[in-house]
Amino acid sequence: MTRPFIPWLLLAVALALAAVYLFPLYWMYVTSFKSGSEIFANPPTFWPRDIDASIYPDVWTRRTMHVFLWNSTLIAAGVTAITVIFGTGCAYVLARYRNVWVDIGLFSILMLQVLPASVMVTPLFVAFNQFGLLNYPRTAVVLAAAAKAMPFFVVLVRATFMTVPRELEEAALVDGNSRVGAFFSIVLPLARNGILVCAILTFMSSFGEYIYSKSIIQSPALQPASVGLSGFLGPNSTDWNSIMAYSAIYVTPILAVFVLLQRRIVSGLTSGALK
Amino acid sequence: MGRFFAGLRDGVGFDILLVTVAMIFLVAMAGLPLIYNVLMSFQQVDMFTLGSFIRPFAGIQNYIDVVRAPEFWLVTRNTVIFVFFSMAGQFVLGFALALFFAQNFPGASTIRGLFLVSWVMPGLVVGAIWSWILAGDFGVLNTILRNLGIIQSTVFWKSDPAFSIWAVVIANIWLGLAFNMLLLSVGLAAIPRDLYEAAELDGANAFQRFWTITLPMMRSTIGAVLSLGLIGTLQQFDLFPAITEGGPANTSTVAQYWSWQMSFQLYDFAKGATISVMMLVLVLFASIIYVRSTRHEVRG
Amino acid sequence: MTAQIELSHIQKHYGSFHALKDVSLRIEKGSFVALVGPSGCGKSTLLRSIAGLETISSGELSIAGKTMTGVPPRHRDIAMVFQSYALYPHMTVEENLTYSLRLHGVGKAEAKAKAAEVAQTTGLSQLLPRYPRQLSGGQRQRVAMGRAIIRNPKAFLFDEPLSNLDAALRVQMRKEIRALHDRLGATSVYVTHDQIEAMTMADWVVVMRDGIIEQQGRPLDLYDHPVNRFVAGFIGSPAMNFVEAQIAEDGTTLVLKTGERIALPRQVEPNRAVTAGMRPENLTIANGPPSFHFTIGNIESTGSATYLTSDDGALQLVQSERANRAVGDRVGVSIDPAQIHLFDPQSGKRI
Repeated sequence: MTRPFIPWLLLAVALALAAVYLFPLYWMYVTSFKSGSEIFANPPTFWPRDIDASIYPDVWTRRTMHVFLWNSTLIAAGVTAITVIFGTGCAYVLARYRNVWVDIGLFSILMLQVLPASVMVTPLFVAFNQFGLLNYPRTAVVLAAAAKAMPFFVVLVRATFMTVPRELEEAALVDGNSRVGAFFSIVLPLARNGILVCAILTFMSSFGEYIYSKSIIQSPALQPASVGLSGFLGPNSTDWNSIMAYSAIYVTPILAVFVLLQRRIVSGLTSGALK
Repeated sequence: MGRFFAGLRDGVGFDILLVTVAMIFLVAMAGLPLIYNVLMSFQQVDMFTLGSFIRPFAGIQNYIDVVRAPEFWLVTRNTVIFVFFSMAGQFVLGFALALFFAQNFPGASTIRGLFLVSWVMPGLVVGAIWSWILAGDFGVLNTILRNLGIIQSTVFWKSDPAFSIWAVVIANIWLGLAFNMLLLSVGLAAIPRDLYEAAELDGANAFQRFWTITLPMMRSTIGAVLSLGLIGTLQQFDLFPAITEGGPANTSTVAQYWSWQMSFQLYDFAKGATISVMMLVLVLFASIIYVRSTRHEVRG
Repeated sequence: MTAQIELSHIQKHYGSFHALKDVSLRIEKGSFVALVGPSGCGKSTLLRSIAGLETISSGELSIAGKTMTGVPPRHRDIAMVFQSYALYPHMTVEENLTYSLRLHGVGKAEAKAKAAEVAQTTGLSQLLPRYPRQLSGGQRQRVAMGRAIIRNPKAFLFDEPLSNLDAALRVQMRKEIRALHDRLGATSVYVTHDQIEAMTMADWVVVMRDGIIEQQGRPLDLYDHPVNRFVAGFIGSPAMNFVEAQIAEDGTTLVLKTGERIALPRQVEPNRAVTAGMRPENLTIANGPPSFHFTIGNIESTGSATYLTSDDGALQLVQSERANRAVGDRVGVSIDPAQIHLFDPQSGKRI
């Protein structure tokens, strides 16, 4: 008994579910293309009457988005650099050995992974203030956010390293390489894709970092795009087409990267996320 | 000295170096602040003592003040609602979707992957979009619900005290659902197919197969997903400033947002630290469950 | 002959687990030594200790007269073929072959020429530009071999290199590895759990169990004169039969459980319990007066050989003729008494 139409039926249901689930994204883009009066139409229009993109350049200049986005990029790049440089080696060691010290290390990293940023922000702010780091607010945010991002990175990259057979490294040692040489010429190239995916994930999540930046960076010239968005967002906002246009400019690069690398990201996550 | 460098190139020195650098960084940026946080919760911290480490000891006065605060029980209630219903919604919907996408049909994994966009989006943007969707007079959710006949009059999701916390819950379910689905999909995929075939030959129907094979085989996954859900929900912050700012009248304030408000809006760092220490106990409880449920994988 | 590899009183602990217990071994230059034993016996640990991949807890290890304890693998000048082959997946066959040469600063042209030469001997010439994933199991095995021989090292170490191949290829590679060893005049240490591999390839076999060397010697010496019951049972296929028996008061008669008596060609301690070991291939169905009898419980035939098993499962007999018997038949069996091995029932030691 074969029912060849069933897979296609399931596909149709899946597409419908995806449409419902992704509706908020659609609504963001649609709203951003509506005029200031159309957004308050009752009932709302599900497709803009006149597509009006003039809000984009307007928001870009009025909200000095180039400054905010540049700061977001700087912060995300800093966080990613620290996380990758420190986290990769740590993940490698935790993948290579099995003993009680590694268990303790892993346990403490899992513990650090669960600390909410809202818990950490108070002591970090006070301590940064005492050490004078608040005078370099972006650096301070990078350090704090890197510590937040690193545990997750280490756990995922460790799973990647565990897929590199130990024998390959041993073969390199017997062939005449040192530990350092074998790590760079054999282990790292083979784990490159996994590390890259995790680095991209780290970049994307720190590109949207909000709480540390909001609490630590006072000067608007140094704030990232998330704080910039919060500046005209609140329970009583009415400027919805600007807010949605701002949001669209902010997330479209992230979404584009995600859709392009979707397969890799998902498989990287599925192999490591639960380990 | 030569031996030392030889150890770095050929021996465990290399490993120790790699792990130590990362650990020092993590201890400095996460471990010490954590301890400092606990310390501050027992101190008097104000604008004059903010810059010094030695501050007047306050005993448990901060804890007493926090518990006696008029909004304490309201915040506790909100936190419980937020955590419980966010987790329940994310888990149930995530599980249903995971089961659905475990069926064999063209494009299953690609479409499932698309769901994950919610996970990579900045929380503040998600909050902004939902804030607009949930808006009272012009929000699209009210229109849809009215056309479906579910509600008659307009619901002021964000400004009605009876609904404000639920507005954030809805947004948070949307935000966390995809990650739950992904983790549960991994667990589902790890169940060998022939178990189902054997059960089918033994005469189990689809419902019985779910109860006798899927659920027991997924025990550790479910444990991990639920504890990660608890941790993730307690970490959720960005939605609050974006949607309700805790209002109206604290009816949507949860512990993590309250703690931040104490420190950064009222500049009462001691109380902020105190609330976060109380939350930390909850988080540690969740992580113990998490570590226990993933232990076999940690040990491999 | 000089010892190429010398191990004296090697100990290895993993936490509370004692993996190698006071192991001493001399490996002569140019010899092919097989380390054989059941899994977990320490043979791989011993091999990896020679390579420097494991640090030994105590004892001394020297290669070509130089003490190697604590020296990292790259300074030991040895080559190793791994069970999984451990080919670098991101390098072509040629790059895999020349990796060690490049590390030792050999020039590009010279390395290329060397690789071509090795590829010639191992039959890989056509495959040099390919990646490991594009090769069959046998071809990968050859690359792993080629990578070892290209350097002309002081010793070759093999860690169960044939266990991932199918049976036919395994038999062929056995011969090729041995031929290569003879041609290069190399010193080889070969770890396997398959005693047939050890017997057919090696000139010196080391049988290990629980971190101890039980016996070492030339393959046929091990077969003919196993020092204990473990070695006797491990070497030889099908495995040796063991029956509990008694020595009569005269000291030259073996009394079986059934009461049947076999005269021994030598004097042993009288009136004692023994375990008698008899190889299945030394038992024959008697034409003349039998040594003892048994009832056939099972007959298996591979075509070339027939295996008869007694009804209590204790004895097996292999003959090259087809069986003209049936299950349930009681047959007389004879054995040359000189081929009966006697062991102490408690210690398992040869008497």
